[in-house]
Amino acid sequence: MTNLNAIDPAAVAEEAKIENDDVVIAKSAIILRRFLRNKTAVAGLAIFLALTVFSFVGGYLTPWDKETIDPFNIGMPPSADHLLGTSQAGIDLYALTVEGTRISILIGLVVGLASVLIAAIYGCTMAYFGGKVDKVMLFILEALIMMPALLVVAVATSGGGNGLQENLPSWLLLIIVLLVFSWMGTARLIRSLSMSLMQRDFVKAAQYMGIPARRIVWRHLVPNIGSLLVLDITRGVTGAILAEVAFSFIGIGIKVPDVSLGVLIGQATSQVATFPWMFWVPLVVMFLLTGSLAMMNDGLRDAFDPSSGSIGSANRSKTQKTAKKNSK
Amino acid sequence: MFRYLAKRAATYLLMIFLTTTAGYFLAVSTLQPALLEQERIPRPTPEQVTNSFRLKGLDPTLTPWERYIDWLTSVVTRWDWGRSPNGAFINAEFGDRVWISTRLFLASIVLTLIIGVALGVYTAARQYKFQDRVITSYSYLVYIVPAPIAYFLVQLGAININETVGERILFVTGISTPGLEGNGWVQFVDMLAHYAVPTFAITIVGWGTYQIAQRQYLLDNVNADFVRTARAKGLTRNQAITRHALRVSFIPVAQSIAFTIPAIFAGGFFAEKIFAWHGVGSWSIDAIALQDVNAATATLAYGSVIFAIGAILADFATTLVDPRVRVQ
Amino acid sequence: MSSETTASTERTADSVAERLHIAGLPAPGYAPADAVLSVRDLNVRFNSENGVVHAVRGVGFDLLPGKTLGIVGESGSGKSVTSLAIMGLLPPTAEITGSVRLNGKELLRLSDKAMCKYRGNDIAMVFQDPLSSLTPVYTVGHQIIEALTVHHPKMSKQATEARAVELLRMVGIPSPKDRLKAFPHEFSGGMRQRVMIAIAIANNPRVLIADEPTTALDVTIQAQVLEVLHTAQEETGAAVVMITHDLGVVAGMADDIMVMYAGKPVETGSVDDIYYNPRMPYTMGLLGAVPRVDISEKISLVPIEGIPPNLVHKPTGCSFAPRCPLVSDACLQGEPELWPVGGPRGGANGLPASGTHQAACIKTDSLGAEVDVHEIFHAPAVPVSRFDAVPRLERKTVLELKDVRKHFPLLKGALIKRRIGTVKAVDGLSFDIREGECFSIVGESGCGKTTTLLEIMEFHKDQDGEVTIGGLSNKAASDARTKNAMRKELQMVFQDPTGALDPRFTVYEVLAEPLENQGMDKPAIRKRIMELMKLVGLQPDHVNRFPNQFSGGQRQRIGIARALAVNPKLVVLDEPVSALDVSVQAGVINLLDKLRAELGLSYLMVAHDLSVVRHISNRVAVMYLGKIVEIGDVDSVFDNPRHPYTRALLSAIPVPDPQVERTRERIILQGDLPSPLDAPKGCNFATRCPVFAALPAAKQEKCLTLEPPLEPAASSQAAQAAPDQQFACFFPDGELDADMLVVHGAP
Repeated sequence: MTNLNAIDPAAVAEEAKIENDDVVIAKSAIILRRFLRNKTAVAGLAIFLALTVFSFVGGYLTPWDKETIDPFNIGMPPSADHLLGTSQAGIDLYALTVEGTRISILIGLVVGLASVLIAAIYGCTMAYFGGKVDKVMLFILEALIMMPALLVVAVATSGGGNGLQENLPSWLLLIIVLLVFSWMGTARLIRSLSMSLMQRDFVKAAQYMGIPARRIVWRHLVPNIGSLLVLDITRGVTGAILAEVAFSFIGIGIKVPDVSLGVLIGQATSQVATFPWMFWVPLVVMFLLTGSLAMMNDGLRDAFDPSSGSIGSANRSKTQKTAKKNSK
Repeated sequence: MFRYLAKRAATYLLMIFLTTTAGYFLAVSTLQPALLEQERIPRPTPEQVTNSFRLKGLDPTLTPWERYIDWLTSVVTRWDWGRSPNGAFINAEFGDRVWISTRLFLASIVLTLIIGVALGVYTAARQYKFQDRVITSYSYLVYIVPAPIAYFLVQLGAININETVGERILFVTGISTPGLEGNGWVQFVDMLAHYAVPTFAITIVGWGTYQIAQRQYLLDNVNADFVRTARAKGLTRNQAITRHALRVSFIPVAQSIAFTIPAIFAGGFFAEKIFAWHGVGSWSIDAIALQDVNAATATLAYGSVIFAIGAILADFATTLVDPRVRVQ
Repeated sequence: MSSETTASTERTADSVAERLHIAGLPAPGYAPADAVLSVRDLNVRFNSENGVVHAVRGVGFDLLPGKTLGIVGESGSGKSVTSLAIMGLLPPTAEITGSVRLNGKELLRLSDKAMCKYRGNDIAMVFQDPLSSLTPVYTVGHQIIEALTVHHPKMSKQATEARAVELLRMVGIPSPKDRLKAFPHEFSGGMRQRVMIAIAIANNPRVLIADEPTTALDVTIQAQVLEVLHTAQEETGAAVVMITHDLGVVAGMADDIMVMYAGKPVETGSVDDIYYNPRMPYTMGLLGAVPRVDISEKISLVPIEGIPPNLVHKPTGCSFAPRCPLVSDACLQGEPELWPVGGPRGGANGLPASGTHQAACIKTDSLGAEVDVHEIFHAPAVPVSRFDAVPRLERKTVLELKDVRKHFPLLKGALIKRRIGTVKAVDGLSFDIREGECFSIVGESGCGKTTTLLEIMEFHKDQDGEVTIGGLSNKAASDARTKNAMRKELQMVFQDPTGALDPRFTVYEVLAEPLENQGMDKPAIRKRIMELMKLVGLQPDHVNRFPNQFSGGQRQRIGIARALAVNPKLVVLDEPVSALDVSVQAGVINLLDKLRAELGLSYLMVAHDLSVVRHISNRVAVMYLGKIVEIGDVDSVFDNPRHPYTRALLSAIPVPDPQVERTRERIILQGDLPSPLDAPKGCNFATRCPVFAALPAAKQEKCLTLEPPLEPAASSQAAQAAPDQQFACFFPDGELDADMLVVHGAP
């Protein structure tokens, strides 16, 4: 759950304190304040945290688990025994949802964080070396973008990847494949941003001072693309959760006996009319998850955007919010 | 101009070759049709299986490299993409599938672009007003719904309509009613009834991105210096915006066409699966389930070609709206 | 908030007389009957997150037909907002009160549609940035014709096209008929500004507002564009409002001047009143802050300390008081109004006639022409460097360039690139810089001065030519140690102080970076940083702040401090003050002067502002298309320029002295800097040379076939007068072509 560190209020406040023994407000503090001022964003953060906690401790709140079959309650609607009802196999839906949420969040976080990391390394390398290296790496990047990810997912998870499948759980396999296909867009963005940063005078100043390249990248480039990285992490997490649901939904992602939100939703589609709760419960959880991430992403974008404080007018705070929301 | 496009086309041709090659090796090394044959009754001997595959050009005893050379030679010299494990010729199957996919997506692509751009302009003109908020919020909502689930929900809605009306006016699966007799009009109505739901579903999921992008680009240009110049000439604000800002705001949208077509194609896997149209997308998944190396590679090549077409179209569209690119 | 009362009353009572009565202005004689544009009590407010910004506060003036009003002020003084308010081009969120009358018709509160009848027809505007002011996707012709058809929808296609060609010809665009079909990106900045002027004068407006029309342009192009504006005014008879921060630009053009500060006019009067008899300390400071290109005597510039006030807060006293050296308690009691200089104050119940000298200062009467502005503003004494007494040739060389070249291949072709030519950005440059001197390179943009700096800063073994820094040659710079030793001698100050500082670094981190790199330990770094802060005139306790918490001038000081951190011998200054406001600029120039003297620094400066160059430099080189065309002691080159290009450059600089401007003979070069690609065989400058144009054909032949070498004057007398001066011209004393000379008689 490391991605939360990026916006952990305590850490940010601490950092601000170190940076300033003066009255001056640090940039991180300003960002935090802006983020906290955005009620939607804070609500998003709260929902996301709540879901994460739920997915870890929720399992202890019910006597049922995801494997035990209740032979007396098969395909039952919500009742006192089974808070959210049971599946057609007679497994407690609440337990399944807890498990599915955890797998979905896990996939989202791992893919979101790791793909941004790969993208940052790849993109910065391209921008720093430029020339031929950049050309070749860009070509590889575009070739990967061209490759339909779905096919590879299908090959890896359903087809003959038997050797792999025996050794690895399907969620891990899905993580690996999603990772391979999720970082290219961000890498391209980071490349172009770093390239423009390389042209900036403060980078030139450092070069003329004789500062070594490694230090310039670490001290000047990385912090300045930091806001983009944080934004891309939330975006990447959302994207990965959505992809997992989509793939599992049509039956090529996570495979039973592993559960995820996508699997739960997908399994329930055939009998929506008969067993509506089986479909709607995991779907609502998924909406809460992706929705809360989108709300957070929105607030973060506003907080990072230095120009966001200057638009609009005092008596129009509401419209202003919309304006910010839409200024992408 | 022409030479520029030719150069781009050459680059993409190389990329298509590379992705297809990579795809072939991935498929040939993981897909093992022989395993499926083992499940037949009566169970064939391994020698029988090998022999039958050798006849279809799928000799499992050859190394992947040898098979690749054979396959490539036949594609390049005879335009023969090989055969499926069941003996069907890829070339024959491919034509039908591409035609079905094209019929499914062409209308949706055109509608997505037109509606997205038109709504973008409409909401930008009514920034912060009620209509803008509703439409823009909707576009953001689409962003957090996985495409197959959105399609499925549309399908549910259509079924509901049918039930309410008490008659099957909308078909939620299939491309046409099999064995339908009747004159042209009957055929036409049947076609509409089959097309309506998938086209609607793909379009309403697709236009959100374009609406947001177009709205943003137009708003970015509304206060541009050249709009002010136009107003200083004596044009009203609205005239200045429609005559000057609008055209300039099309430039980035035109560039993004490159990604629409492949994106819709990718969404196509889901759409074909859910609406049971047997196009290229569902074929690719079936091919993997059936361990069909040649079909999987062909669909992958098709995906790459679609992407390249999108990219070249985007180049072309950009040249059309932006005179600065015209001078090469 | 009296004006707010006015605003609310206006909505109910439409009667002009009543409104004026409330505003405290007399209804009869509202404006001179002949004024084409009268502005009264104009106020503009914007809502911002921090509160209401009162951007324009009570601006009023009358503009008579055919006359020119110059509005002078620094950034944020409200001058551009004023012009946009008059044009009705402010966003609807802006709250505008007061009155703007065009030929007696009220323009404020007209709807956008009603206003369109006047905009572009009776009242037109030229904007600051020509690069972004034309729509990129339409042809130039389309955009000019649009200006015509908006107001004359019935005009035939032939008629509009003919008029568009006529307009382009009027603003001096060669082969106008073909150029109609060109797109803006095919034009240079100066050409685009001409197109903007053509659009503005398309319908023969009565009033033409020009908002910093030449700010983004080179001096030679600026002279051309000002000339075009002049012609446009003559052709149309329009009254002109010229908005600028450059006191030189308006000195020769304007009849009246209005100086604005913090959204308010602080001094108005005829151009002579303002330049020769300023009565408001701000105006006096501004005039003293501008270096003069035509005066060799070295005097310090007048620095105006502090920064303009934040317009969110209503000033309780004179808005200039916090920066004014003459401030007294009385200045803080209420904001002074504009009152006639030497006339009655208080009780005067009428607007003085247009052009009357007025100033908003309670000490106006004690500030006559005899007051020394340097004394008032405590301008520092001219610093003297210990090297000044040592003859140049006896001083050590800190930087030497020998035949440095930088050629870029120009490639073309789709798949296989082929070389179609060479851009000679820098073509055989040799010069040296001695200890304690400031050497400047001047020239138009594209002449290769920036490339020269890059060649020096990015020295490496394989470059074409030799760069010797502090005795170490680039040819020997193969190991990191030599390179580091060379870097330590050489530091740079950048043009844009904001871009040169990492926004995520505190000042401490910014200054510590070079020191850490030199391996200094923490306490020593701390001590050095405190020294540096004091050295550049910043408060040492501000080291924990981020760059965005400083003003532009302070940021540039931080940039200078960083450059000085490792005690370099030579500081490279790339347009060090061009991004700064005039009043701030003076402080930074004085600082650079002081540092050179105190620390014995040498400077290599690149600047487009020749006045600054003259003020700060000892030696100067004039570059044209990658070559030095004239080099020498700054006074000899500026007072007795020998190369025609130097003469043209110098004559293009506007001087903040109306008398001089009116009688000056000016060389207006034709066209833009040619592309370095098609550099001619003989003299590079022949295509634009005013001397060449006047030469007989036989002599012209020499210019076209032979390349003039850079050498001292041939005649021994001239060579003795300025032994250091060298130039590259065969006919330095040739007649100038009469077509390229312009003199404007007194208006």
